[in-house]
Amino acid sequence: MIALKIPITPPRAALLLAVLALSSLTGCALQPPQAFEKGNLAKREMTFGADPLEDAFSQHVYFSKEAASGGTGVGGGGCGCN
Amino acid sequence: MAATDHDDIQPADARPRLGSITLAALALPGLLNVAHAESAPTDGVISVKLQSYDDRQPGLDRIRVIAPSLYVLAPVASNWALEASLVHDDISGASPRWHSAISGASHMSDHRTAGTARVTRYFDRVSVGVGGAFSEERDYRSRAASLDVRWSTPDNNTTLYLGAGLTRDDINPVNGVVENEHKRSNEFMIGVTQAWTKNDLVQLNVGHVAASGYFNDPYKLVDKRPRERDQTTVLARWNHHIEPLGVTIRSSYRFYRDTFGIRAHTATVEGVHPLGERFTLTPSLRYYTQGKADFYYDPVYDPVIGEPYPPGRPRLSSSDHRLSAFGAITVGAKIEWRIDSRWSADFKYERYEQRSNWRLGGNGSPGLARLSADILQIGFSRRF
Repeated sequence: MIALKIPITPPRAALLLAVLALSSLTGCALQPPQAFEKGNLAKREMTFGADPLEDAFSQHVYFSKEAASGGTGVGGGGCGCN
Repeated sequence: MAATDHDDIQPADARPRLGSITLAALALPGLLNVAHAESAPTDGVISVKLQSYDDRQPGLDRIRVIAPSLYVLAPVASNWALEASLVHDDISGASPRWHSAISGASHMSDHRTAGTARVTRYFDRVSVGVGGAFSEERDYRSRAASLDVRWSTPDNNTTLYLGAGLTRDDINPVNGVVENEHKRSNEFMIGVTQAWTKNDLVQLNVGHVAASGYFNDPYKLVDKRPRERDQTTVLARWNHHIEPLGVTIRSSYRFYRDTFGIRAHTATVEGVHPLGERFTLTPSLRYYTQGKADFYYDPVYDPVIGEPYPPGRPRLSSSDHRLSAFGAITVGAKIEWRIDSRWSADFKYERYEQRSNWRLGGNGSPGLARLSADILQIGFSRRF
C-alpha cells in the first residue's frame, strides 16, 4: 500500500478548516434550525462582535504589539501606533 | 457594555427576536460591530467606556494609554441605521529605539483621536452599509472608507458578506526622518455565517489587503522595510450554546500571512456564564504565535562593539521586536451587570504577555525581553 504523505503546513491547515466549514454549509452533516428553534441563536452572547468599543480597543492593542491583524471586517483605518 | 444589546432583560414571556439570525450574527466589525437583524434596529444605544493599557518589560515601564470612548447607534426611519464612534487616546511612556534595548529608549507623549461613522440601509434580506473612519496623531493621519453588502437566504440560516475598503495614511514623523510619506491600502473580504444547529453558529471570513507605501518605523534605528505589503487572513468563528447550563462558548481561529514573510496563528476561547438574572461572567483565553519577517535580524548586544548593524548593510532590515518570532497569551475576565431594562455596566481585565519561547512550532527570536501588559475596560450602556 502506498502511503500518501502530505505535510500539514499552516496554509493547508487553514484550507482544510475552510473546506470543513464550507462543507457544513451544504447541510450534509447537521440539520439547520427551523424558525421556531432559533431562540438560543438570538441571544446576545451568540452574536459575533456584540461590543464594538471592546472589540475596537482589543484590535487596536494587538495591532500595536503584533505583526498580524485583521480578519473580522474591512474599513477600520490605520494608525501610527508605534 | 452591550452596545447592541436589544435583548437586555426581557419579561418572562418575551419572545426572542427570530429575525435573520445569521445576518444579525454576522455583525461584521470592520468599521463597527453591530448586530443587525434583517430590519433596521428599533432601539438606539449609547455606550461609553474608559479603557487603559499599560505595558512593561524588565527594567523599563513602557507605554501607558488612557482612552475614553463613545459609541452611538441610532435607528432612522424604518429602514436605516446610523452608527458613530469616537475615541481619544492619551499615550505616554517610553519605547525602545531598536529591538528591546532599554538604553536609549525614546520617551514620548502623544494624543490620538479616532472616529468612525456608518450608515446602513435595510432591504428585504439584504443590507448595504457605507462607512468612513479617521485617525489623527501629531505625526500620523489616516482616512478610510468602506462598503459592505450582506445577503441572507430565504430560511435566514445563511448570510453572505462582501466588503471592500480603502485606507489612505499620511506620515510626518516629528524627528524629520522623512516628510510627507504615504501609505495606501485596498482591502477585500468575503464571509459566510451559518446557523448550523439551533445551538451553533459558525462563521468563515477570508480577507486580503494590498498595501503600498511607507512601512518603516521612523523612530527605530536602522529600519528599512519593503514598500509593499499584502496580507491574507482566514478567520473561523464558532459560537456554541450549552442549553442545560445556559452557558455560551465562543471560539475562533485566525490564520494570517503576509509578504513580509510573517505567518501567524491566533486562537481564542471564552465562556459566557450567567450569574443569576442580572450578571454574567466571561473568562477568556487567547493564544497568538508568529514567525519572524524575512528581513528581521537578531541583534547581538556586544559591550565592545556597541549596537550591531546588519552585516553588509542589506537593503532591507529591521530589529523591531514586533517583526520577530514570539508567542503571546492573554488571560482575562469580564463581568456584565444588567442594571435594568435600559442600563447596563461592564468591567473587563486582561493580562497580556509576550515571550519568544512561547512561539509554537519553532524557536522564538533570541534575546527579546519579556513584554507584559495590563488592559482594563469599564463601560456603561443605555438603550433609548
